Amino acid sequence: MTDLFKEFKKGLWKDNAVFVMLLGMCPVLAVTNSATNGLAMGLATSFVLLSSAIFVSTLRHIIPHQVRIASYIVIIATFVTIADYFLAAMLPPISKALGPYVPLIVVNCLILGRAEAFSSKHGIATSISDALGMGTGFTGALIILGGIREILGNGSLFEVKLLGDWFEPWIVMLLPGGAFITLGLLIGFINYFTKKPVALGVSLGEDIGYREKGQFVTANEAYGQHQEKSSPVVTEKTE
Amino acid sequence: MEIFIIFISASIVNNFVLTYFLGICPFLGVSNKIDSSFSLGLATTFVMVITAVASWLINHYILILFNVPFLEYVSFIIVIASMVQLVEMFVKKTSPVLYRALGIFLPLITTNCAILGLALFAVLRDYSFIQTIVFGIGAGVGFTLAIVVMAGIREELEMADIPYPLKGAGITLIVAGFLALAFMGFAGLISA
Amino acid sequence: MNSSVLKMLVVLTTIGLVSGGSLAGVYKKSFPLIEKHRLEALKKAIFDVLPEAKSYKELEKDGLKAYQGLDDKNNPVGIAFEAEGNGFQAKIVMMVGIDNQFKKLKGMKVLYQIETPGLGNKIEFDDFRNQFKGLSVKPQIGYVKNKKPDKPNEIQAITAATISSVAVVKILNKEIKKMSGTYKLQG
Repeated sequence: MTDLFKEFKKGLWKDNAVFVMLLGMCPVLAVTNSATNGLAMGLATSFVLLSSAIFVSTLRHIIPHQVRIASYIVIIATFVTIADYFLAAMLPPISKALGPYVPLIVVNCLILGRAEAFSSKHGIATSISDALGMGTGFTGALIILGGIREILGNGSLFEVKLLGDWFEPWIVMLLPGGAFITLGLLIGFINYFTKKPVALGVSLGEDIGYREKGQFVTANEAYGQHQEKSSPVVTEKTE
Repeated sequence: MEIFIIFISASIVNNFVLTYFLGICPFLGVSNKIDSSFSLGLATTFVMVITAVASWLINHYILILFNVPFLEYVSFIIVIASMVQLVEMFVKKTSPVLYRALGIFLPLITTNCAILGLALFAVLRDYSFIQTIVFGIGAGVGFTLAIVVMAGIREELEMADIPYPLKGAGITLIVAGFLALAFMGFAGLISA
Repeated sequence: MNSSVLKMLVVLTTIGLVSGGSLAGVYKKSFPLIEKHRLEALKKAIFDVLPEAKSYKELEKDGLKAYQGLDDKNNPVGIAFEAEGNGFQAKIVMMVGIDNQFKKLKGMKVLYQIETPGLGNKIEFDDFRNQFKGLSVKPQIGYVKNKKPDKPNEIQAITAATISSVAVVKILNKEIKKMSGTYKLQG
């Protein structure tokens, strides 16, 4: 039981998909112009994350190694389609607000990343708690980002007016530029409290966080090539 | 004229990366050297164009013909994954240097939202076959432009004295924000 | 070798079939609801731009689609149609209501736009929209900046969003001209 809780807890903060691993950036930036949209997107993503985790982990001994990525993609795309139709049928305003970003959950690196790095190697219970933790962390991050942008850009939170008429909305917060800048500052803010400054020479060569964590290692294993444990391939000189 | 508008709109005014947030992963990940960014841009553009063609064919000759719109996402993602595999094999054979430089980002083009986004947008906007191809080229050019400009800035940034919490992801996102604001200057180019 | 290839094929096919089958089920269940929402939104938009209408019927002539608003005695009260064109960022789609003689607008409602939030997207808001109620379209719609319009065919462009406002006016003029050839009633 404590193990399950540990798997759940890591997604909330230590390995938070958005702030630490920088996964699934498209929806994070695109739909967070209001807290409501952030919440809806977070829940839709969590649903797909959880369902695909259950299926991938159940089928992990049946799916042959060579075709596993293809199988995962089909499983994920199926659940995304279900989520999309559900939203369109039951919650049309939300479906309209999220627009094409619901189908784009298919290519959210977070989901394929967790399927490959975690669910395909762990039992159902562990995979479920991992997916729940990651999903909750992801949803929380989206609400925080959406909340900040909505308060500053519109003077409201969850569509409830917070700031009076004296407040001149910062329109830039609702624009694409505002999304990037808010997330950048937020990550800097979190780093300020969690990361200690490193010696100068080291920090110059340091790369953005997800080089070491999550995506890269995941992808390496995923495609079973580039065995040289992700030395930052792309930064190599290519004379 | 319509074709020209689609091209300008996809490449500059509604730049995939900077206004639709599509293709952010490679945009933040690869964009620290101009040459590798440019190569990735070209590879992505190539995959975009063939995906645009393939998805148009699938949409018109399978999804609409047999009235199975619910298979849209599944079929598109399968097409994209196979196209990326083909391109990967092709690049590996023809240019090992490029293959090494792109490294893990080549297979990752599959999960580049820009590609699936392109296919979905083309269907959503009901583009004709020619329009879809132009849209694909425009989106690819836009992606390449954004990622190369970003790489140019980041090459300079490496030498800059940035507060430590912002190093890496933080400053990259903030720079991307200013780029996005700058690109807003192009809006209005295509108005009625 | 053969058995592993076989296994791959079997697994992939099974996953594909299960996925396709379950999606077909979901689609069958949700499609009527989605269609209902679409029709409701359409109906709402039509009654919004043709306030006197109690019902409507769909018309299609010369490849142009329009909706004729009818009052309780089934007399035509005007025509509603969708107008679309390029705005500041991308396409703007509107529902437009106009009287039978194509002289005065009865209303306008933006159905789709992604103009700049806080600036261009004000074309969706009532302050801007209400200017089109009763607006004369003869000879065509005009606009003024930073002052109250003094002619019956003019609207005031939104401050700091002139391009979006003008785009709306241009789209309306173009589409009204196109539709009037087909749907204008004499008398």
